[in-house]
Amino acid sequence: MGAIFKRDFRAFFTSMTGFVFLGVFLLIMNIFFSLGNIMDSRSSVAGVFSTMMFINLFTIPLLTMRSFAEDFKQKTDQLLFTAPIRPISVVLGKFLAAFAVYALALVAALLWVLIIAVYGAPNGAEVAGNYLAMLLVGGVYISIGVFISSLTENQLIAAVSSYGVFFLLYILDMLKNGFSSMPAWITSVLYFISITGRHDTITAGLIALDDIIFFLSAAALFLFFCHRILERKRRA
Amino acid sequence: MIEVTELTKRYGKQRGVTDISFTVGEGEIVGFLGPNGAGKTTAMNVITGYLAPTSGSVYVAGVNMLENPVSAKRNIGYLPEQPPLYHDMKVAEYLDFVYDLKGVTELPRRRHIDDVCEMADIQDVRHRLLRNLSKGYRQRVGLAQALLGDPCVLILDEPTSGLDPKQIMDMRKVIKDLGQSHTVMLSTHILQEVSAVCERVLVISEGKIVADGSPADLAGSMAGERKLVVRVAGPRDNVLSLLKSRDGVKKAEPIGEVEERSCDFLVESLPNMDVRKPLFSALAAAGWPILMLRPETVSLEDVFISLTEKKEVQ
Repeated sequence: MGAIFKRDFRAFFTSMTGFVFLGVFLLIMNIFFSLGNIMDSRSSVAGVFSTMMFINLFTIPLLTMRSFAEDFKQKTDQLLFTAPIRPISVVLGKFLAAFAVYALALVAALLWVLIIAVYGAPNGAEVAGNYLAMLLVGGVYISIGVFISSLTENQLIAAVSSYGVFFLLYILDMLKNGFSSMPAWITSVLYFISITGRHDTITAGLIALDDIIFFLSAAALFLFFCHRILERKRRA
Repeated sequence: MIEVTELTKRYGKQRGVTDISFTVGEGEIVGFLGPNGAGKTTAMNVITGYLAPTSGSVYVAGVNMLENPVSAKRNIGYLPEQPPLYHDMKVAEYLDFVYDLKGVTELPRRRHIDDVCEMADIQDVRHRLLRNLSKGYRQRVGLAQALLGDPCVLILDEPTSGLDPKQIMDMRKVIKDLGQSHTVMLSTHILQEVSAVCERVLVISEGKIVADGSPADLAGSMAGERKLVVRVAGPRDNVLSLLKSRDGVKKAEPIGEVEERSCDFLVESLPNMDVRKPLFSALAAAGWPILMLRPETVSLEDVFISLTEKKEVQ
């Protein structure tokens, strides 16, 4: 797992994808930070962090599109799956590498907190809650992206499908309180799977165990699906 | 070292390989020979644990690949048909990565990687990007990768495909050297390769093993008795009856006239008889000079074609 993590993490920065991800992410986020916090002299990071929810939809597929697709295409999966390691280690190594780059972006975002701290007083609990929420949400998106990448050997298809799925989730999220005519059970399902809903609860300071378990198990579920796909490929 | 029992791998309804069984002993160099699409790669992918078989079992160095894949894989070095290289890495970085991936700890990193580079003869490209290497070097880096961790079994899928003649010679030499200390199984559709490198051949056709033996055995099994082509300057019928009257000659027949005032004969001798000297003396005594005498050998090509084409004839 360690070897794969190291290789994939480095590959993000030899192939430019890592720089593009960080560049796009930080550029857009800094625009929102400048507008929302500096121009408005606001010390709360909640606004800029909730924007990040939306930016993630565009940037995370950049991180995950290559994960397995590129290995299938270059046939390097033959090396990974004939090496004396278990397939789940391969999945975890790839997931963690993408997650680490994502976390790097969040570390860079600490600069905002620093700037706010110089000119005002950031709310420590609010910052911590937002960071926790973003890490959990990112984990879910990245695991979905890695899973989708294991379905194809074409990076572009992996990226576009990930956009599609992320947008679908986003739209379902918006639908949950859109129509009063909707049957109650659909609404409750939508509430249950609502990523933004659970994200907002955490950032509001209500760190409930069920939300954390939801995010962690959703991430685990898609990594498990990814593992199943690999096993099916082996038996195909 | 490798024990394959009743192995079948189906893709959907298509069969990759059907019910193949064989064993490869320690230190053997075995060639897996077959036309393209015969199932060589499929069989190798199953043996190395990349694909799961539909049925049957694979043991490598006594370890069951299905039940205990991690330790079974530790004994195998695999060079797939397309070397599994990350093109964005340098050779040294790549080998470092594979060293970690295979979890080699018992061999000191620097020394072991140096050794492997020397065996595959890639010391002078270690700081180059894999993307920029020629096909020959990529193949050799792929081989170096397979050698990392010092596995006792090497599985090489078409190790010389796409190389130029000089590189092919080099690669064959490397494989022969490796065969001294490893069990090697290589696939190829090139017959000379088998005679040049392998001690034993498994011929595979349409997913089945159709022959198993040494290259010489296979050629011999077809040749049966020795045959000679003799060109004699002399009257055809008289020469023919003289040839037939010699001891050890089982059969003789005229096969045409190539040079003027001469005739070619195909002479079949009894097993373990060398009729060349008696033929020479008799023909010389009769005053009919031999213009040409050559053994009619059956090449591996003939064997191969007859083995792999049987199906179509039926």
